[in-house]
Amino acid sequence: MSEPAALGRLTAHLAMLAAISFGGVPSVLPDIREFVVVNGWLTNQDFSNFFAVAQAIPGPNMILMMSFIGWKAAGLPGAIACACATFAPPCAMYFIAYRFWDRFREARWQRIARAGLAPLTAGLVVAGGTVMAGAADLGWPAVAVTCGAAALLLLTRLNPLWMIGAAGVLGALGVI
Amino acid sequence: MAPARLNRPRVALRALFWEFLKVSLFAAGGGIAWAHRVAVDRRGWLSDAEFTDIVSLCQFMPGPNVVGVAVCVGAKLRGAAGAVAATAGFVVLPGVAGFAIGTWLFRHTGIAMLQHILMGISAAAAGLMIATGLRLLRAYRRQPPALLIAALAFAGLALAKYPLLVVLVACAPLGIGAAALVGLRAR
Repeated sequence: MSEPAALGRLTAHLAMLAAISFGGVPSVLPDIREFVVVNGWLTNQDFSNFFAVAQAIPGPNMILMMSFIGWKAAGLPGAIACACATFAPPCAMYFIAYRFWDRFREARWQRIARAGLAPLTAGLVVAGGTVMAGAADLGWPAVAVTCGAAALLLLTRLNPLWMIGAAGVLGALGVI
Repeated sequence: MAPARLNRPRVALRALFWEFLKVSLFAAGGGIAWAHRVAVDRRGWLSDAEFTDIVSLCQFMPGPNVVGVAVCVGAKLRGAAGAVAATAGFVVLPGVAGFAIGTWLFRHTGIAMLQHILMGISAAAAGLMIATGLRLLRAYRRQPPALLIAALAFAGLALAKYPLLVVLVACAPLGIGAAALVGLRAR
């Protein structure tokens, strides 16, 4: 993808998704994966690698992941454009909403909207994780690692970095 | 503006930048908890209630929630300039460093062992994401309509592979309608 029109399309799609990413950027992953893989900009393996590195490096993970996608699709300008598209629209929305927040805080419609959207966003986040688990098309050891990490996070107070590190070691040993 | 702000010393933009830079670097997986530690416990910039207020706004909004916390804390303390300083601290340096490390790694994915490590990490990270979603659902485990809507959103996005916009437009009115009905009955 070298022509600017394609980068424009990718950036616009990301900005649109970021503006509706209720539940955070994980909810966007399935959609963006379809978009970039179908357009032939990334392979499933690329997408899964980007996800792994973005999750393992400290910092703003999802902005980082989108910059990797932009980089693969259109080099450094692509990386910068995609990173900005991911965080600029939500930042502007946060800022504006924060200004109006006090006025509507106690409004009943506000509480109802929040209660109605919360379970929906939870479903979207689970969907994001499920799609990423299937992205690399791996065998049952990878499924076991996914389930194990999920169970440990739900049932213990272990720092998630331990799960990431242990899974990397299992990978290095050739288990996955 | 508000009288409470008059008692508060003016926070330096530089301090906002550095503190949110640290939040970004040290808080893998739990940015909001770390932001609380910095803004409320260590620096005393905000009260507990003010911070909780900001978090509940950010969880309701689209986008990366922790970035939202940076925007709002910055805006509360120093207006637009504060929002920019906190967000820049959170995003710019860690983003550039992460990008450099990442692109360097991707040049070497031909190495089988690196590829396997990444596959392991990806599998675990996917599990962590699933668990995060399930944890959000715990609060609704006795509310069948809420669970049904979560299931519909999941199926639409993960199984039917509809675009996010389609899933949201279809499910949001259902979710808000159900919450309104529950709210009416509770009164």
